[in-house]
Amino acid sequence: MGAATGNARTKAKPAASGNGAVSNGAKRNETARKRVTAESMAAKQRDISVSEFFAKNRHLLGFDNPRKALLTTVKEAVDNSLDACEEAGLVPEVWVHIESMTGKDRFKVGVQDNGPGIVKKQIPLIFGKLLYGSKFHRLRMSRGQQGIGISAAGMYGMLTTGKPVKILSKVSIRKPIHYYEIQIDTKKNKPEILNGRGDGVDISPGAKGFQYIEKHGIEWVTHYDAVEEGKEPKEVRSGTRVTIELEARYQRGRGSVDEYLEQTAIANPHVTLHYLDPEGNLSTYGRSTTDLPDEPKEIKPHPYGVELGRLMTMLKDSSDTTMAQFLGGSFSRVSPGVARRICEGAGLTVRSSPKRIGRQEADSLYQSIQETKIKAPATDCLSPIGEDLILKGLHRVVPGEFYVAATRPPSVYRGNPFLIEVGLVYGGGSTVTKISYEVLAELLSQTDARTLRQFIINTFDGLGPDAADRIIKASGFGTRQSPSKFKSKQIAKLHEAMRNVNISEGQSMQVLRYANRVPLQFQPAGCAITQAVTKMNWRSYGLSQSRGQLPGGPINIMVHMASVWVPFTSESKEAIASYPEIEKELRLGLQAVGRKLGMYLRRRKRVSQEGERRNIFLRYLREIATAVHEINGSDEKKVYDDLLHVAQRVTSEADAKFDDRGKRVDEADEDYGDNVLVVSQDPVELLGGQTNSEGRLF
Amino acid sequence: MAKKTTKSKSNGEKLSGSDRKTLKAIQGAADEVAKTAGGKRKPHLDIPSRTLSNVRFNKSRKIIEMGKGTNRRELFNLGQAKSYMQTLLVMKGCKGLIERGKTDTIRALYYGLKHKIKPTTENTFEDQGECDPIIEDTEVILDALREELHLRADKKGDMVGNLVLVDNGDEIDCTRMGSGGYGIPSIVEPDTIQFKECSAKFVLHVEKGTVWQRFNEDKFWKKHNCILTHGGGQPPRGVRRLLNRFANELKLPVYCLLDNDPWGYYIYSVIKQGSINLAYESQRMAIPKARYIGLRSKDYTRCQLTESVEIQLTDNDRKRAKQIAAYPWFRSKKPWQTEIDLMLKNGFKLEVEALVSKDISYVTEEYVPSRLADRDFLD
Repeated sequence: MGAATGNARTKAKPAASGNGAVSNGAKRNETARKRVTAESMAAKQRDISVSEFFAKNRHLLGFDNPRKALLTTVKEAVDNSLDACEEAGLVPEVWVHIESMTGKDRFKVGVQDNGPGIVKKQIPLIFGKLLYGSKFHRLRMSRGQQGIGISAAGMYGMLTTGKPVKILSKVSIRKPIHYYEIQIDTKKNKPEILNGRGDGVDISPGAKGFQYIEKHGIEWVTHYDAVEEGKEPKEVRSGTRVTIELEARYQRGRGSVDEYLEQTAIANPHVTLHYLDPEGNLSTYGRSTTDLPDEPKEIKPHPYGVELGRLMTMLKDSSDTTMAQFLGGSFSRVSPGVARRICEGAGLTVRSSPKRIGRQEADSLYQSIQETKIKAPATDCLSPIGEDLILKGLHRVVPGEFYVAATRPPSVYRGNPFLIEVGLVYGGGSTVTKISYEVLAELLSQTDARTLRQFIINTFDGLGPDAADRIIKASGFGTRQSPSKFKSKQIAKLHEAMRNVNISEGQSMQVLRYANRVPLQFQPAGCAITQAVTKMNWRSYGLSQSRGQLPGGPINIMVHMASVWVPFTSESKEAIASYPEIEKELRLGLQAVGRKLGMYLRRRKRVSQEGERRNIFLRYLREIATAVHEINGSDEKKVYDDLLHVAQRVTSEADAKFDDRGKRVDEADEDYGDNVLVVSQDPVELLGGQTNSEGRLF
Repeated sequence: MAKKTTKSKSNGEKLSGSDRKTLKAIQGAADEVAKTAGGKRKPHLDIPSRTLSNVRFNKSRKIIEMGKGTNRRELFNLGQAKSYMQTLLVMKGCKGLIERGKTDTIRALYYGLKHKIKPTTENTFEDQGECDPIIEDTEVILDALREELHLRADKKGDMVGNLVLVDNGDEIDCTRMGSGGYGIPSIVEPDTIQFKECSAKFVLHVEKGTVWQRFNEDKFWKKHNCILTHGGGQPPRGVRRLLNRFANELKLPVYCLLDNDPWGYYIYSVIKQGSINLAYESQRMAIPKARYIGLRSKDYTRCQLTESVEIQLTDNDRKRAKQIAAYPWFRSKKPWQTEIDLMLKNGFKLEVEALVSKDISYVTEEYVPSRLADRDFLD
């Protein structure tokens, strides 16, 4: 294709494909002036390889810009690692290393896991062939779905830097590490192995292997962190590491790798994450449980979820001899009775052969399926995070004072089982007040925001325009000042303002969205989750909310949708599509946590009111005691103490008076239920659950 | 502010009977607080309520009297805690004044009691407006008059006429007061002011200083042998008490010349029956025999006034006029009902100064003399 002579079928180097696009276009313009014949057109009509298609349409896969490319690469690798570990029943530990390379905007991303490893002959296919994987053809709850992700990331790296994808994999402690450097032939959608004369390299296990790794500068984490000081660290027995060099941009803030990893840690409390960022900061999110989530079961599709075209394909490909066998064997919840009713409805007999079903009959079969009453699919194929672990995960990462979680029972949309989980954290200041001067300076130097206001809103979580304006006002800068040119004195001034301004009123709810434990970081407005949150009336739970907006206040809410097939709005998997069933479950889940939050807020308000009440009384008691003493000469201290005694009785009585249902409650059994965690507001306690290293922001 | 040292026996001997009674009442209130607190109960004060609903028009005595209704003020009630404290502070301040045998203005008392409540920045009283109603509360709680608490209001109102009186030992001849007149003090009780000689035959009370100036300059009191007073709008207690003493002790009829508007009507009502707010003092203040000379609604046509002196009634005026017409002491008086109706029908009000448009001395030489001669009054 590199040769623009029209001989498109000449074998060309994949790297040249970028040029091809340009010359092709030029060619079309030229020929447009001549009369085109069917024959000349036919000469140009040919196959489009999937890889080629995606090379040109990389935005569909989340590689639209260098910043997002970095995130997508890390995300695909980590998602794959976690899926692999969980499927093999191993407690996942993942190392993410991002290294800034010489040359502008070049990064090396390495992701290693302690999973089962990959057998040698599969490695090139998994990492070097688009649309190759284990997850597409089955209905099972998993993070990845299509089998495009990691190979697309590798291809993106190759296209932008020309460097191959490096893969190391080890299946057991006694087996060698397979080491491959792979390139994708975009035209043939086939991997090409570059090292070891097209066969890869095997690194032998044990000490000899470690030496080899060291000598050749191969990146591989050989040992876990030592559990205790001085104890021999344990060797990593198996696992896979993928290293991709790519053109990218590293930036903190919203939609960053840092944010993704943090959110992943929340939804996956059984995972330990080690993260080395390009600036050399190492942060670790330790696991808070070693229990793996229940293994999701693979299920057969439910008849309601199948489309006509797919039904026809299934009929054609079936090796069953009767319709009864076909329906019972290919779908879940189809008993012989149901199969008979479906066939009767379609005017077929249960004994007809699936292969002989024509287009017309398939159509009536499809109609009949929709009309027949079929039991909802089994929902035990889902593996929710669980209320307990949501609380643990949130507490580990998000500082706050009140945590509540709710896991809804499974439900079904279009024949696909799904369930919704919601976790909510109230309290805890915004990151703004905790930011250090150095980090702020760094953020300012990196930002591409044009105005200071934009910078504040876009960089910090949970800061609305309101809070930004207040900070800017306090700092004395103009709203439209360009933040990238700030001098150190100005930065200090802004830093001061950020620490001092009370922004709790200007904060708005932060929504963390998850699909099958994977954080969704983009397109919040188009996502069913965000829509459900904004549609809810949070005012009845004691929060402030303008119409059609997220509610205000220091709140983080996480919403997790677990399903065998998450309906994304696009292939880049950034937003969940709304189905009425999903909307309903979301609403019920949000209401469940909202009620608990309302209880907590009401109680909090009452406690603070009581405190205020007591203060007011106490303030005046001294004056009264003095006046009484001066009038009738009675002992001032005694009068004061007596009054104080009464005051305490009066206010404590009101303290424990009634709960929101007007029932008298005692302090001890004032309980929110078992899916709630209330943290005392002692700052030490709050930091205790956090393994985030000091100074880290997101 | 009160000093502890003033609480000596020698002082106690100097106290008058009414002072001893007041001190006892104050002490009683304080003892009650100490006792209630000692018994682990919530202290409170019962304050006779000073509202329209708690006043009663005594038809036979023709004065407004206070009913038995009380409002409870509790210390352990968020809305009342502060005013409870303030009430005790006022009692404390008054006790100091009585013991030292001094009187003070309510403004001075407010300043004396105002201070920051430690450790907050809150003041015991934010402004005088917060202090004044508390003083009135204290009066009704202790059943003591303002004078008995050794408090004075800022004085307002002047007097001139054929009268000689003794004020705190000084003899004052009210015929020789020049153009300024004798300023009526706020305490005019018999132990402060005694009447020595009076040849006047009646009292003419006018609403404001400007009108009073006109009468004084025209020597109206000399020509008609009367006492001429004004109260600077709503007359203060001193003026009302003095008018009351003229009426009761000197048996002088009291005639009022007020503006023809709801405000003027109410001034007359207060002079005649007593005020709702200070109903407990009506007995000493009210002059049921007082008469209303003018201005009258019909004066616009009677005196042939011109359009230029009309002042349009506001919505507020109309509302107030209807309220006044509904007061029990006005409701039964037909002439008053027609008077108020006529004003409402006119749609404007008239000030006494309106008569100036006829002639500068029309009011002193024509209007009042002819009203007096015709005995054309409203009751």
